[in-house]
Amino acid sequence: MTDNIIEVTDLVKVYDPDVRAVDKISFQVRRGEVFGFLGPNGAGKTTTIKVLTTLIRKTGGTAFVDGISVEQDPASIREIIGYAAQEVGIDDDLTGRENLRLQCILYHVPRANAELRIAELLKTIDLEEAADRRAGTYSGGMRKRLDLAMALIPHPKLLFLDEPTTGLDPQNRVAVWEYIQELNQQGMTIFLTTQYMEEADRLADRLSIIDHGRIVAEGTPASLKASIGADVVSLSFKPNGHENSREAAKAALARVPGIKEIQEVDGGVAIYAQDAPALVPQIVLALNDAHLEIRELTLTHPTLDDVFMKYTGRKMRVEEVTPKGRTPWGARRRRAM
Amino acid sequence: MSAGDFVSEVSGIAGRWIKKTLRRPPFLFFSLVQPIVWFVLFTQAFSSISNIRTPIGNGQFLTFKDFSGTDSYLTFFSAAVIIQTVLASAMQSGVGFVTDMESGFLDKLKVAPIHRSSILLGKLLSDGARILLQTLVIILLAFALGVGIATGIVGLILVFALALAFGIAWSGISTFIALTTKNSESTLMISLLTTFPLLFLSTAVMPKPLLQTWIQNVAIYNPISYIADGLHGLIISPGLDWSVVGFSFLVIAVVGFITLSATTAMFQRTVSA
Repeated sequence: MTDNIIEVTDLVKVYDPDVRAVDKISFQVRRGEVFGFLGPNGAGKTTTIKVLTTLIRKTGGTAFVDGISVEQDPASIREIIGYAAQEVGIDDDLTGRENLRLQCILYHVPRANAELRIAELLKTIDLEEAADRRAGTYSGGMRKRLDLAMALIPHPKLLFLDEPTTGLDPQNRVAVWEYIQELNQQGMTIFLTTQYMEEADRLADRLSIIDHGRIVAEGTPASLKASIGADVVSLSFKPNGHENSREAAKAALARVPGIKEIQEVDGGVAIYAQDAPALVPQIVLALNDAHLEIRELTLTHPTLDDVFMKYTGRKMRVEEVTPKGRTPWGARRRRAM
Repeated sequence: MSAGDFVSEVSGIAGRWIKKTLRRPPFLFFSLVQPIVWFVLFTQAFSSISNIRTPIGNGQFLTFKDFSGTDSYLTFFSAAVIIQTVLASAMQSGVGFVTDMESGFLDKLKVAPIHRSSILLGKLLSDGARILLQTLVIILLAFALGVGIATGIVGLILVFALALAFGIAWSGISTFIALTTKNSESTLMISLLTTFPLLFLSTAVMPKPLLQTWIQNVAIYNPISYIADGLHGLIISPGLDWSVVGFSFLVIAVVGFITLSATTAMFQRTVSA
């Protein structure tokens, strides 16, 4: 048994007629980690999840889940995974408890254990009070939480979460994050997709940035941010006799080791350095020696936003999820990609 | 996956649909209000149909009873109410699948470690249960209005059996349309467009000799006619004519074989996509 619970090599998925939703991607997910797929809408995140959860067939490449090929034995894969889709798949006419009960039947949870398991999950996701109300009356956050609980009914070895917090308010989002971390600490491997930088940063041990069906970067959030090169220290100065404070600052800072680059910017200088916080005292001392008075100093770490921008050349735009309207006459639903 | 798992999966899925059905207001309308409207308004407005006399020369007449076996249009028409209700109900069966595709619930069923056939079988079983319940309502209503089942308890059981078999066979059409169009409006529209022509171009609402010639010609090829003949036989004529009832079941079996094979094939395509 390998260390990787998911192994994907050169995966391709082409939808009719000619939409390459996923275009030759390769990645591995290690046992016990939280692995993130970060990318905008239509990047190929959901398509990848659907291949791995045996919902759709791939066009090319190989994909193994827990050593099992998705093509050869999808039934065995279904035994070990849990899946919470982006679109919440709960039955509005049933109560929360009934939804969970049905899920217990579908996952062959022995009747004796089922009620206990349901009670336990309802408590964890804080839905005890609403458990016997129809799910149709639930708020967006409650629905998302119920859906998550349904995915957890089988105690899956591997949990797929497709945009677990999209459309949630900040409070619910943090609650879901904490819950995901808790599940991971209990040993569950989690594969999640997200379009939120903050979410990927906070939850993922490792992540792939995916755009237009291709993986453009991968690594730990820290290593990806480090690949940007440096932290940024921005400085501006008080006018106190120096004709050109920027030139003077550059000269003064030239003696500080560890600075990668000094750039003149509007109103001051920007300093790029690998570990800027450690350098700040030396920077301040050097400027003091040169009789430069600092008006403002800001220190910024690179964010995953910067990473996304570096690898795709674009800023990642997060589209708010709009409530689904009625399907127009004859129109087929677009495939979510 | 054991046989016991299969049974619990199918019953779990069927149970879900039955719960859903009972909790939806349209179900009450279709199964209670609509049969009452049909029974009361239709038979009242058309009650003089049973006074129809067809001259055959020498001052002799054939009456409605000579054609149909009963002098009550209400009795004759109860078969049409059963057919209409079952037809309308069966034609909506497929909508559930569309809703499940749209809501993502079908994906939930598809990632579960179940026999995928239990998804379809559970649905069809629940359709059957719903149709039995609706037939029961109509029969009770018919009894209340003074209609009797001439063939007694065996006939009554056969009426239920016919309605059930017919309903499941027709559910197949609707499910096939739903899986093909993946659109609930289209599914409902096709259902509305086909229900009435099928009903009125058959022997369900009028004895065959009283239909216009062209309708008679169409009615011969309309499977509904044979189901109607079976129901009329059971409700109206004392003495069970097994050949008529048997032929009804045969027609249903043929229709059911076609619709359910097509549905199964389409379902397999949908779940394995």
